[in-house]
Amino acid sequence: MPHFRLRGTSPTLTHICRLSYLASVDLIQVLSCELVQRRQRSPRYSLRAFARDLGIDHASLSQLLRGRRVLSPRLAKKFGAKLQLRSAEIAETCENHNAQAILRLSRTAGFRPNSRWIATRTGLPLDAVNVALARLLQQRQLIMESPTRWKFPATYHA
Amino acid sequence: MPNPVIRWQLITPEPDRAAAFYQKVFDWNLSKANALGYREFSSRETRGADGGVWPAPAGQPGFVQLFIEVESVARAVEAATDAGAKILIPESTLPDGDTMAVLMDPTGVSFGVCRLGRSALASTVK
Repeated sequence: MPHFRLRGTSPTLTHICRLSYLASVDLIQVLSCELVQRRQRSPRYSLRAFARDLGIDHASLSQLLRGRRVLSPRLAKKFGAKLQLRSAEIAETCENHNAQAILRLSRTAGFRPNSRWIATRTGLPLDAVNVALARLLQQRQLIMESPTRWKFPATYHA
Repeated sequence: MPNPVIRWQLITPEPDRAAAFYQKVFDWNLSKANALGYREFSSRETRGADGGVWPAPAGQPGFVQLFIEVESVARAVEAATDAGAKILIPESTLPDGDTMAVLMDPTGVSFGVCRLGRSALASTVK
Protein backbone atom coordinates (compact mmCIF):
# COMPACT_ATOMS: atom_id res chain seq x y z
CA MET A 1 0.00 0.00 0.00
CA PRO A 2 1.49 3.36 -0.95
CA HIS A 3 2.08 6.00 1.64
CA PHE A 4 1.82 9.63 0.75
CA ARG A 5 3.82 12.31 2.41
CA LEU A 6 2.22 15.70 2.49
CA ARG A 7 4.52 18.30 1.02
CA GLY A 8 4.26 21.72 2.63
CA THR A 9 2.34 22.61 5.73
CA SER A 10 -1.25 22.58 4.54
CA PRO A 11 -2.82 19.77 2.56
CA THR A 12 -3.98 20.77 -0.89
CA LEU A 13 -6.92 19.36 -2.78
CA THR A 14 -4.54 17.13 -4.71
CA HIS A 15 -3.13 15.77 -1.49
CA ILE A 16 -6.60 15.09 -0.15
CA CYS A 17 -7.52 13.28 -3.35
CA ARG A 18 -4.35 11.24 -3.06
CA LEU A 19 -5.14 10.39 0.53
CA SER A 20 -8.61 9.26 -0.41
CA TYR A 21 -7.04 6.74 -2.78
CA LEU A 22 -4.60 5.14 -0.40
CA ALA A 23 -5.40 1.62 -1.48
CA SER A 24 -5.55 2.35 -5.15
CA VAL A 25 -3.90 5.39 -6.62
CA ASP A 26 -6.06 6.78 -9.38
CA LEU A 27 -3.94 9.13 -11.42
CA ILE A 28 -6.93 10.37 -13.42
CA GLN A 29 -8.53 11.42 -10.16
CA VAL A 30 -5.30 13.09 -9.13
CA LEU A 31 -5.20 14.93 -12.46
CA SER A 32 -8.80 16.06 -12.04
CA CYS A 33 -8.10 17.33 -8.56
CA GLU A 34 -4.96 19.07 -9.70
CA LEU A 35 -6.94 20.87 -12.42
CA VAL A 36 -9.61 21.95 -9.92
CA GLN A 37 -6.92 23.17 -7.57
CA ARG A 38 -5.17 25.18 -10.25
CA ARG A 39 -8.48 26.70 -11.34
CA GLN A 40 -9.17 27.70 -7.75
CA ARG A 41 -5.84 29.51 -7.68
CA SER A 42 -6.35 31.00 -11.13
CA PRO A 43 -9.93 30.98 -12.46
CA ARG A 44 -8.73 31.55 -16.01
CA TYR A 45 -6.54 28.45 -15.95
CA SER A 46 -7.80 26.31 -18.82
CA LEU A 47 -7.73 22.66 -19.75
CA ARG A 48 -5.51 23.67 -22.64
CA ALA A 49 -3.05 25.30 -20.23
CA PHE A 50 -3.11 22.22 -18.00
CA ALA A 51 -2.44 20.01 -21.01
CA ARG A 52 0.45 22.22 -22.02
CA ASP A 53 1.90 22.03 -18.50
CA LEU A 54 1.62 18.24 -18.58
CA GLY A 55 3.18 18.02 -22.03
CA ILE A 56 0.16 16.52 -23.80
CA ASP A 57 -2.36 17.84 -26.32
CA HIS A 58 -5.58 19.09 -24.78
CA ALA A 59 -7.84 16.72 -26.76
CA SER A 60 -6.04 13.70 -25.39
CA LEU A 61 -6.14 15.10 -21.86
CA SER A 62 -9.85 15.76 -22.20
CA GLN A 63 -10.44 12.17 -23.31
CA LEU A 64 -8.41 10.87 -20.39
CA LEU A 65 -10.30 12.94 -17.86
CA ARG A 66 -13.64 11.81 -19.28
CA GLY A 67 -12.58 8.18 -19.19
CA ARG A 68 -12.68 7.81 -22.95
CA ARG A 69 -9.04 6.96 -23.26
CA VAL A 70 -6.90 4.51 -21.31
CA LEU A 71 -3.92 5.97 -19.52
CA SER A 72 -0.81 4.22 -20.77
CA PRO A 73 2.04 3.43 -18.40
CA ARG A 74 4.18 5.84 -20.45
CA LEU A 75 1.77 8.73 -19.84
CA ALA A 76 1.34 7.70 -16.21
CA LYS A 77 5.08 8.01 -15.72
CA LYS A 78 5.15 11.32 -17.55
CA PHE A 79 2.29 12.80 -15.50
CA GLY A 80 3.69 11.31 -12.31
CA ALA A 81 6.96 13.13 -12.91
CA LYS A 82 5.14 16.39 -13.69
CA LEU A 83 3.02 16.11 -10.55
CA GLN A 84 6.09 15.13 -8.50
CA LEU A 85 4.73 11.75 -7.46
CA ARG A 86 7.32 9.40 -6.04
CA SER A 87 8.49 6.47 -8.18
CA ALA A 88 6.63 4.01 -5.96
CA GLU A 89 3.45 5.98 -6.46
CA ILE A 90 3.98 6.06 -10.22
CA ALA A 91 4.60 2.30 -10.31
CA GLU A 92 1.50 1.74 -8.19
CA THR A 93 -0.50 3.90 -10.59
CA CYS A 94 0.75 1.99 -13.62
CA GLU A 95 -0.11 -1.35 -12.03
CA ASN A 96 -3.52 -0.09 -11.03
CA HIS A 97 -4.26 1.06 -14.55
CA ASN A 98 -3.05 -2.24 -15.98
CA ALA A 99 -5.41 -4.04 -13.62
CA GLN A 100 -8.24 -1.77 -14.71
CA ALA A 101 -7.48 -2.50 -18.36
CA ILE A 102 -7.81 -6.23 -17.64
CA LEU A 103 -11.05 -5.68 -15.76
CA ARG A 104 -12.46 -3.70 -18.67
CA LEU A 105 -11.42 -6.45 -21.06
CA SER A 106 -13.02 -9.06 -18.81
CA ARG A 107 -16.39 -7.44 -19.41
CA THR A 108 -16.17 -7.93 -23.16
CA ALA A 109 -17.59 -10.89 -25.03
CA GLY A 110 -15.14 -13.63 -25.81
CA PHE A 111 -12.81 -12.93 -22.90
CA ARG A 112 -10.21 -15.67 -22.56
CA PRO A 113 -8.49 -16.63 -19.28
CA ASN A 114 -5.09 -16.54 -20.86
CA SER A 115 -2.29 -14.08 -20.12
CA ARG A 116 -0.98 -14.12 -23.67
CA TRP A 117 -4.41 -13.34 -25.08
CA ILE A 118 -4.90 -10.55 -22.54
CA ALA A 119 -1.49 -9.11 -23.38
CA THR A 120 -2.33 -9.09 -27.08
CA ARG A 121 -5.74 -7.49 -26.54
CA THR A 122 -4.61 -4.83 -24.06
CA GLY A 123 -1.25 -4.10 -25.63
CA LEU A 124 0.41 -4.62 -22.26
CA PRO A 125 3.65 -6.59 -21.90
CA LEU A 126 3.05 -10.17 -20.76
CA ASP A 127 4.88 -9.58 -17.47
CA ALA A 128 2.76 -6.50 -16.78
CA VAL A 129 -0.36 -8.61 -17.33
CA ASN A 130 0.86 -11.25 -14.89
CA VAL A 131 1.78 -8.67 -12.25
CA ALA A 132 -1.70 -7.20 -12.62
CA LEU A 133 -3.33 -10.65 -12.40
CA ALA A 134 -1.44 -11.39 -9.19
CA ARG A 135 -2.58 -8.04 -7.83
CA LEU A 136 -6.21 -8.78 -8.75
CA LEU A 137 -5.98 -12.19 -7.09
CA GLN A 138 -4.58 -10.67 -3.91
CA GLN A 139 -7.29 -8.02 -3.86
CA ARG A 140 -9.98 -10.68 -4.47
CA GLN A 141 -10.93 -8.87 -7.68
CA LEU A 142 -10.24 -12.05 -9.60
CA ILE A 143 -11.14 -15.63 -8.76
CA MET A 144 -9.65 -18.41 -10.87
CA GLU A 145 -12.39 -20.99 -10.49
CA SER A 146 -11.20 -23.48 -13.06
CA PRO A 147 -8.67 -23.68 -15.90
CA THR A 148 -11.21 -22.10 -18.23
CA ARG A 149 -13.28 -19.90 -15.93
CA TRP A 150 -12.15 -16.69 -14.24
CA LYS A 151 -14.65 -14.70 -12.24
CA PHE A 152 -14.30 -10.96 -11.68
CA PRO A 153 -16.45 -9.87 -8.73
CA ALA A 154 -18.33 -6.70 -9.53
CA THR A 155 -17.01 -4.86 -6.50
CA TYR A 156 -14.24 -3.17 -8.45
CA HIS A 157 -15.16 -0.16 -10.47
CA ALA A 158 -12.63 0.80 -13.11
CA MET B 1 7.76 -37.18 4.13
CA PRO B 2 4.20 -36.19 3.39
CA ASN B 3 3.53 -32.89 1.67
CA PRO B 4 6.88 -32.43 -0.05
CA VAL B 5 8.14 -29.18 -1.48
CA ILE B 6 7.69 -29.84 -5.18
CA ARG B 7 8.17 -26.43 -6.74
CA TRP B 8 9.96 -23.20 -6.07
CA GLN B 9 9.29 -19.81 -7.54
CA LEU B 10 11.61 -16.87 -7.92
CA ILE B 11 9.66 -13.63 -7.87
CA THR B 12 11.66 -10.76 -9.25
CA PRO B 13 11.09 -7.42 -10.98
CA GLU B 14 13.64 -8.53 -13.60
CA PRO B 15 12.32 -11.93 -14.66
CA ASP B 16 14.07 -12.09 -18.04
CA ARG B 17 17.43 -11.24 -16.53
CA ALA B 18 17.01 -13.70 -13.68
CA ALA B 19 15.83 -16.49 -15.95
CA ALA B 20 18.74 -15.95 -18.33
CA PHE B 21 21.17 -16.02 -15.41
CA TYR B 22 20.01 -19.36 -13.98
CA GLN B 23 19.63 -20.92 -17.41
CA LYS B 24 23.19 -19.97 -18.31
CA VAL B 25 24.87 -20.85 -15.03
CA PHE B 26 23.04 -24.14 -14.29
CA ASP B 27 22.12 -25.27 -17.79
CA TRP B 28 18.44 -25.60 -16.88
CA ASN B 29 15.79 -25.91 -19.55
CA LEU B 30 13.59 -22.85 -19.75
CA SER B 31 10.11 -22.92 -21.22
CA LYS B 32 7.32 -20.36 -21.48
CA ALA B 33 4.97 -22.64 -23.38
CA ASN B 34 1.95 -22.24 -21.13
CA ALA B 35 -1.11 -20.03 -20.92
CA LEU B 36 0.42 -17.64 -18.40
CA GLY B 37 3.73 -17.32 -20.19
CA TYR B 38 5.25 -18.57 -16.93
CA ARG B 39 9.02 -19.13 -17.15
CA GLU B 40 9.41 -22.75 -16.08
CA PHE B 41 12.76 -24.30 -15.32
CA SER B 42 13.56 -27.98 -15.61
CA SER B 43 16.86 -29.44 -14.47
CA ARG B 44 16.15 -32.71 -16.35
CA GLU B 45 17.22 -34.54 -13.17
CA THR B 46 15.26 -37.12 -11.20
CA ARG B 47 16.29 -35.46 -7.94
CA GLY B 48 15.28 -32.05 -6.70
CA ALA B 49 12.35 -29.77 -7.43
CA ASP B 50 11.89 -27.70 -10.54
CA GLY B 51 10.81 -24.10 -10.37
CA GLY B 52 9.98 -20.98 -12.25
CA VAL B 53 10.20 -17.23 -12.41
CA TRP B 54 7.27 -14.88 -11.90
CA PRO B 55 7.41 -11.11 -12.37
CA ALA B 56 7.29 -8.86 -9.30
CA PRO B 57 5.99 -5.29 -9.34
CA ALA B 58 8.63 -2.72 -10.26
CA GLY B 59 10.75 -1.64 -7.34
CA GLN B 60 9.92 -4.66 -5.19
CA PRO B 61 12.77 -6.83 -3.89
CA GLY B 62 13.08 -10.33 -5.31
CA PHE B 63 12.40 -13.40 -3.19
CA VAL B 64 11.87 -17.15 -3.41
CA GLN B 65 8.64 -18.95 -2.61
CA LEU B 66 8.39 -22.67 -1.91
CA PHE B 67 5.35 -24.64 -3.00
CA ILE B 68 4.25 -27.58 -0.89
CA GLU B 69 2.19 -30.32 -2.47
CA VAL B 70 -0.99 -31.12 -0.61
CA GLU B 71 -3.87 -33.49 -1.12
CA SER B 72 -6.41 -30.68 -0.77
CA VAL B 73 -5.55 -27.01 -1.15
CA ALA B 74 -8.69 -25.96 0.71
CA ARG B 75 -7.90 -28.17 3.71
CA ALA B 76 -4.26 -27.06 3.74
CA VAL B 77 -5.32 -23.41 3.71
CA GLU B 78 -7.72 -24.05 6.57
CA ALA B 79 -5.06 -25.84 8.60
CA ALA B 80 -2.51 -23.11 7.92
CA THR B 81 -4.83 -20.27 8.84
CA ASP B 82 -5.90 -22.10 11.99
CA ALA B 83 -2.20 -22.21 12.89
CA GLY B 84 -1.81 -18.46 12.34
CA ALA B 85 -1.06 -18.07 8.63
CA LYS B 86 -2.66 -15.37 6.51
CA ILE B 87 -4.03 -15.89 3.04
CA LEU B 88 -2.29 -13.80 0.37
CA ILE B 89 -3.83 -15.44 -2.69
CA PRO B 90 -6.85 -17.66 -2.08
CA GLU B 91 -7.26 -21.04 -3.73
CA SER B 92 -6.95 -20.57 -7.46
CA THR B 93 -6.99 -22.96 -10.37
CA LEU B 94 -4.47 -21.98 -13.00
CA PRO B 95 -5.12 -22.34 -16.74
CA ASP B 96 -2.84 -25.36 -16.95
CA GLY B 97 -4.80 -27.20 -14.25
CA ASP B 98 -2.71 -26.69 -11.11
CA THR B 99 -4.57 -25.53 -8.01
CA MET B 100 -2.69 -23.34 -5.57
CA ALA B 101 -2.93 -20.78 -2.80
CA VAL B 102 -0.29 -18.48 -1.36
CA LEU B 103 -0.08 -17.83 2.35
CA MET B 104 2.11 -15.99 4.83
CA ASP B 105 3.29 -17.98 7.80
CA PRO B 106 3.14 -16.51 11.32
CA THR B 107 6.75 -15.32 11.00
CA GLY B 108 6.03 -13.31 7.84
CA VAL B 109 7.41 -15.70 5.22
CA SER B 110 5.21 -16.40 2.21
CA PHE B 111 4.79 -19.88 0.77
CA GLY B 112 2.44 -21.74 -1.52
CA VAL B 113 0.42 -24.91 -1.30
CA CYS B 114 -0.52 -26.68 -4.48
CA ARG B 115 -2.09 -29.67 -6.06
CA LEU B 116 -0.81 -30.37 -9.52
CA GLY B 117 -3.20 -30.74 -12.41
CA ARG B 118 -3.11 -33.66 -14.76
CA SER B 119 -0.88 -31.98 -17.35
CA ALA B 120 1.63 -30.84 -14.75
CA LEU B 121 1.70 -34.26 -13.13
CA ALA B 122 2.60 -35.80 -16.44
CA SER B 123 5.55 -33.47 -16.88
CA THR B 124 6.67 -33.80 -13.26
CA VAL B 125 6.95 -37.59 -13.25
CA LYS B 126 10.47 -38.15 -14.54
